[in-house]
Amino acid sequence: MATHDTSEHQDVRVRVPLLRIDRRARLWWTLRNLLLCGIPLAALIVAAVIWEPARVWLVAPIVAVALVGVAKVGVEPWWRYRVHRWEVTERATYASSGWLVVEWRVAPTSRIQTVDALRGPLEQLFGLATLRVTTASSYGAISIRGLDRSVAQDAADRLAIVAELSEGDAT
Amino acid sequence: MTASTTADASWQRLSIRVVWVDVVVSVISLLPGVIAIVVFGVEPSLDALWPLALVAVLGVAGAVGDILRWAFTTYRVTPTDIERRTGLFVRRHRTLDRDRVRSVDTAAKLRHRLAGLRVVTVGAGQQTGAGESALVLDALSVADAAELRERLLRARVVAPPVTEPAPGVEAGEAAGERSAETDTDDADSVEVLATFRWWWVVYNMFSIWAFLMAAGLLWGGFWLASSFGIDLFGIVSRLADWEALGWLGTLALAVLGAGVLGAVGLGVTFLLESGRFELSRVRSGDRSYLRTRRGLLSTREVSRDESRMRGVSIGEPVLWRWMGMADTNVITTGLDVWDMSEPTAILPRGPISVSRDVVQRVFGVENPFDVPLRRHPRTALRRRLWWATAISAVAPAVLVAPALAGVVPGWAPWAAAAVWPVALLAAVVAYRALGHAVAGDYLVVRAGLFSRTTSALRRDAVSTIAVRQSVLQRRLGLATVSAMTAAGWSAYEAFDVPADGAVALAADVAPGLLDEVIERGEARASRMMGS
Repeated sequence: MATHDTSEHQDVRVRVPLLRIDRRARLWWTLRNLLLCGIPLAALIVAAVIWEPARVWLVAPIVAVALVGVAKVGVEPWWRYRVHRWEVTERATYASSGWLVVEWRVAPTSRIQTVDALRGPLEQLFGLATLRVTTASSYGAISIRGLDRSVAQDAADRLAIVAELSEGDAT
Repeated sequence: MTASTTADASWQRLSIRVVWVDVVVSVISLLPGVIAIVVFGVEPSLDALWPLALVAVLGVAGAVGDILRWAFTTYRVTPTDIERRTGLFVRRHRTLDRDRVRSVDTAAKLRHRLAGLRVVTVGAGQQTGAGESALVLDALSVADAAELRERLLRARVVAPPVTEPAPGVEAGEAAGERSAETDTDDADSVEVLATFRWWWVVYNMFSIWAFLMAAGLLWGGFWLASSFGIDLFGIVSRLADWEALGWLGTLALAVLGAGVLGAVGLGVTFLLESGRFELSRVRSGDRSYLRTRRGLLSTREVSRDESRMRGVSIGEPVLWRWMGMADTNVITTGLDVWDMSEPTAILPRGPISVSRDVVQRVFGVENPFDVPLRRHPRTALRRRLWWATAISAVAPAVLVAPALAGVVPGWAPWAAAAVWPVALLAAVVAYRALGHAVAGDYLVVRAGLFSRTTSALRRDAVSTIAVRQSVLQRRLGLATVSAMTAAGWSAYEAFDVPADGAVALAADVAPGLLDEVIERGEARASRMMGS
């Protein structure tokens, strides 16, 4: 329980979380981003073809959406797969996520309020699940995406048992 | 309706005076129409009178609804519970465990005060956003309200609540009811921290809302006057020679006039709402509350359990920083920061000197606001300048193709780029607002462009810690540390601290939490935070 003075320990680092997410997450993200960017892009192009006067206004949006789409389909899934890691211990849940903006979060088990294993429609297609751990803060939830369904369920069950053992206010 | 001692098990009605108030309200809502017809001789047709007819219909319908509500509402207090049954078509029965009662507050609008009524709100520490509301009894007589409050609060002192949900403590006690309150005030110790100063009105008159206020006033005045056969528009158009002024002069005069009217409106509203303001610390048993009372006509009181407080924040709106305008809020669980009535504000908008003074007295000896804040690196300014440039470039970029095609004039992209200097200035202002410190038990962060907000958050209230870094931040050697909590705005962030100190700061903010995941010295396994 040592407190550290910010100025003295400048070379403090965090280690990466122990576990990687499932490989299928890359496919999931690729398909998701294809839909996410492909549909608006198609809509914009169709609008530009059909609606002559609007064409000059649609040039910039089409270029922008196309560039974003290429990045999100070609780069994001692989980049995310390298970044996303997680671990759940007795004392805390620790996860890293993101690609352009990378983030790591730690929530102590004693503050956990709910633990869920969620599966969206696309995730179900690939047999994946998201482990979501929430605390009393509405921004404090930790979502660990792209886990194998059984792994996520096991972790949720384990965490639920541990979290119930820790007494406390949780706010 | 007198509360008897045997009332514990018997169902009681709300005060019968509710019905009389409703009768009076419906009569009053009919009056404007009657006056317009009888006194001003307005022709009684729907065309001329529809605003007044609307007022009358709404007033009478509301009153009838209220009488029905009175007829179908009963409540009782048993030794363990407080129960309320209400509803005509859908019967609702709510039972509240007396052990869970956090607050019993009373509020009064003008009509309640005239009739000697009080709206009693029994707060049971309901979570905001959980769809759970406090139990409201609208309304009891003053004596009954005081008695009910006394019984429920005394019970709580004897048997403190076991469960610890967040309190939704709010709603008020009439300031006009000094006599009824002095008893409780004597039992508790009251320390007055701040009282109303009339010149605070200056801080509350200038706001962009002034124009909305003016628009509302003018619109309402126009319709009201036209119902009485007065052509307000005609009067105004005869006031000055608008032709001679030209459209620019007319516009300037209109903006000025609306601004002045709105400012006066805001000032009057402030005086009515915040008149007789008083902030005090009330100690009752082993609990202490920060209690605000305010209001000239309708009164309102909010008590905030100090054991639920997680910190304080002071916001300084950017346009009025030169005059030292400040908003003072407590960071606490269970009070809704989105609530329009601002239950978290412990002071009306006023001078920062008062704000700092009050914060000093709230914190006592260990005031985290005294600690000098650490400045953030210059690269944080560069990040803001880059973002300002990027955002300013969006509009010109969109306009380039239309300009080349001749759809819009060739100078349009350049005109759109004119926001760039403003954006750069905003970047500098935002950078200068940045600061952070760890002071005793508190994390202090300062940030914000439109409202520079300094927040002191108790470190033991932090429930999740996060450090994030964008690609640009990584290039500039910056990182953002977020402390998540259940109270206030839920996340308090130190933006753009030096990347090599971010983990140390995070470990400082939540002592012990990061023990498992940090490595010191040369062991650099981190791919994410590493260089």
